[in-house]
Amino acid sequence: MLFRLPLVRNLSTQVNAAAQKVSKTPSMKTFKIYRWSPDHPEEKPHMQSYTLDMDETGPMMLDALLKIKNEVDSTLTFRRSCREGICGSCAMNIDGRNTLACISKISKADGKDVKIYPLPHMYVVKDLVPDLTHFYKQYKSIKPYLLTSKPLPEKEILQSVEDRKKLDGLYECILCACCSTSCPSYWWNQQEYLGPAVLMQAYRWMIDSRDDATESRKQMLQNPMSLYRCHTIMNCAKTCPKGLNPGKAIAAIKRSMAFE
Amino acid sequence: MLAFSRLGLSVPLRSAFRPALRPVLISALTTRSLFVKTITQPPGDIIGTVNEAYVVPTPNKFTGSRAWTMERLAVVAMTPLMLAPFIAGSAYAPLDAAMSTLLLYHCYAGFESCIIDYIPARVYGVWHSVAMGLLALGSLFAGCGIYVIETTEEEGLFGLCKKLWTKQKAI
Repeated sequence: MLFRLPLVRNLSTQVNAAAQKVSKTPSMKTFKIYRWSPDHPEEKPHMQSYTLDMDETGPMMLDALLKIKNEVDSTLTFRRSCREGICGSCAMNIDGRNTLACISKISKADGKDVKIYPLPHMYVVKDLVPDLTHFYKQYKSIKPYLLTSKPLPEKEILQSVEDRKKLDGLYECILCACCSTSCPSYWWNQQEYLGPAVLMQAYRWMIDSRDDATESRKQMLQNPMSLYRCHTIMNCAKTCPKGLNPGKAIAAIKRSMAFE
Repeated sequence: MLAFSRLGLSVPLRSAFRPALRPVLISALTTRSLFVKTITQPPGDIIGTVNEAYVVPTPNKFTGSRAWTMERLAVVAMTPLMLAPFIAGSAYAPLDAAMSTLLLYHCYAGFESCIIDYIPARVYGVWHSVAMGLLALGSLFAGCGIYVIETTEEEGLFGLCKKLWTKQKAI
């Protein structure tokens, strides 16, 4: 009797869950995902469909991708890490918008197929994994660290509250490359144009009160390609999954360089 | 379309031209420019090793910030000059000449930007210079045209536009 009681409870919850499942018709949703494998270069890239039961899938796009990888097709390849929108690994093009899979919700009731592509106009490593090497090389070129000629103090370099406030809206960037790869100018000239993400970081270091290499930072942008390929299309601000505005930062750089 | 061709999904264009033109024209359209041989770019746009920073072009203020500022100043100066004859009803010759010259510069800067965007020297090599040369030549012709209009027409460019407008109305 002592051990039958929990057994009965278990059974009853199982029956309840089963009854719930039967009463509800499964809400299915199709995910069309870009597939290409470097192991089979003779096969052209194609879209592969996966249909999932939305009642058994988590709320976010990343949950659906993980479910496909775990239960349907383990060859599906994508980057993911933090699952909370702070690492930027799962940046991809979902339903025509560059965003992070982990913070974009699946609209379960709309009955439409979801289309998932890698970040547009990037070289593809495999499936949803773009090659970001050049993006990182560009980031490195702006020297994303403090440059100061003054002797360093014993402890940290202090900053006033106002000076610290200037960095808000800039330092939050996670370098997911959503904005850069949404920019048509970056599509055409990504080899030479630095792109919104990198330029916003360039601005972040320019206006840092602790940094005194502002002049050399500006000097490196004095050419027609690196900065001035921005034509204020503003796709960057529209797509940023963190709600930042790289276009505004680029405009601020242009303004600060206007009479040089 | 270009974005798709890099992804390898150039299906819509291919099916649109099917079947007669497909083999020759489409392969030329999707892989390289139709008329001009382009310079092959390094794989993944990577020059040097993956750990080296990207090297920016040599700084030049005249193609950088000054070009940008000139463009903006031209637009700012042009706006009242453009509106003035509409408010006054007739154009004052020196102001019209100034407006026409600024308009020419504005067009030149715009087309120059287009060439840098779509016919970059990186990919098209000498053809970039050819395009720039053609633009300079065209602008020179337009400059001469402006001179002729300003010296022969009664109200300059504004007068010419007015004439065209009224003639079309009469028909």
